[in-house]
Amino acid sequence: MTDPADRRADSARGPLVRAAAQQFAHKPYSLVNLDDVVAAVDISRGAMYFHFPSKQALATAVIAEAHELGRQAAAGVLANKLSGLETLIDLSYLVAVLDIGEDLARAGLYLLESIGRVEGLEARSLREVVEALAHIVRRAVSEGDIAEGCDPEDIARLLVSTYIGIRHTSDLDNPQQFLLDIEKAWVLLLPGFANPERMRYLSQFVRRRTAVASGKVSPQRDPT
Amino acid sequence: MTARQTRSEVTRRKIIDAAVELFNDVGYSGTGLGDIIERAGMTKGALYHHFNSKEALAVAIINEGSDILLKTFQGISRSSAPALESMIHGVLVTVDLANTDKLVRMGAVLLRIFAKFSEASTLNYGVWLAEMGEQARRAQAEGDLRDDIDAQAAGEFIISAMLGAELISNAVSGGGDLLERVTGTWEFLLSAIASEQSLPYLREFLARESLRRRGQSMPT
Repeated sequence: MTDPADRRADSARGPLVRAAAQQFAHKPYSLVNLDDVVAAVDISRGAMYFHFPSKQALATAVIAEAHELGRQAAAGVLANKLSGLETLIDLSYLVAVLDIGEDLARAGLYLLESIGRVEGLEARSLREVVEALAHIVRRAVSEGDIAEGCDPEDIARLLVSTYIGIRHTSDLDNPQQFLLDIEKAWVLLLPGFANPERMRYLSQFVRRRTAVASGKVSPQRDPT
Repeated sequence: MTARQTRSEVTRRKIIDAAVELFNDVGYSGTGLGDIIERAGMTKGALYHHFNSKEALAVAIINEGSDILLKTFQGISRSSAPALESMIHGVLVTVDLANTDKLVRMGAVLLRIFAKFSEASTLNYGVWLAEMGEQARRAQAEGDLRDDIDAQAAGEFIISAMLGAELISNAVSGGGDLLERVTGTWEFLLSAIASEQSLPYLREFLARESLRRRGQSMPT
């Protein structure tokens, strides 16, 4: 079906996206040099242009793969069938852990901000995320964890913008601090929409997630 | 997968589904291979190509059901939740699955029938004991499980207690009160194995979980 040359070309696509993600995760878009990407994969620039005619095409592919990574991870959280608000909290920690440890996830989120204006990519992605979260918020309202009368889309937008804001004000390279900042954000946000009688339980739920996530991003040392 | 493999898998599926239905309707011992052939609309040759005896069919059902349960439980264990929360949540989800999914349910019934006589059941229980022991060790490291008890023993005891609850529920109410029994068993277990500082929180976690599953509003 495919001749050997095609297959060789196919096999370079994945490594190119991964090498690009590594660059985009740690450098601003404008400072990423495609020579570094090509060198990491050990192919010619011409071979790279066969797959990605421009830096922007490569960056768009990174965003698409990061999106898929996030979608699959989120599906895993949803499959756990926790309550709506617990699911929202779990999702925030899941994204944080991926953002801290996976270049692909981190690069995807950076790129969305730096080149997302193109073709309305950022607006479309964020709208999709807000809609998905609003759906879970509605469930949390029906379960009594979130007070009735709140607009689910408003809460979903607030959660998304808070996370994007923390990425700027906190430091992804200081994982413990970053997770602590996520926890603080929840403790400050929850009283705004959560059922007051459930605050004590929910703030414990949040603190316990911080502890587990901290262990994940920097495995506990063996006590012996 | 080739078209031939796909067809073969479809045939295998049909046989298993027919067997699950018949075992469910008339019981394992009351079902003959002839009934399965008829229900599945297969030839004798097609059935024997996949299963050389009724017992081989039963083992396949046990293994598939057990696999679904274990994968579900492991998916929950790998989440961002503390281990003891995952154990509580995972047990309630798998128990619910064993109660609602026909194949999983039949697998559990057959596992009981074959216990002690078959390698399949030894293997299946062994995997669960290892999985629970592993989670219990994590729970201990996270401070939720008391540090003065043997984590492996606690994990294994949880399995014994849940299997017992399932057995009694099936005998007494045909599985109708399974969730209440499993929740009640967890309440007793938590008092015995949870650390003092985590116990109030875990009780609340369990209460929320169990009420949500019963479709009632959660406690405030």
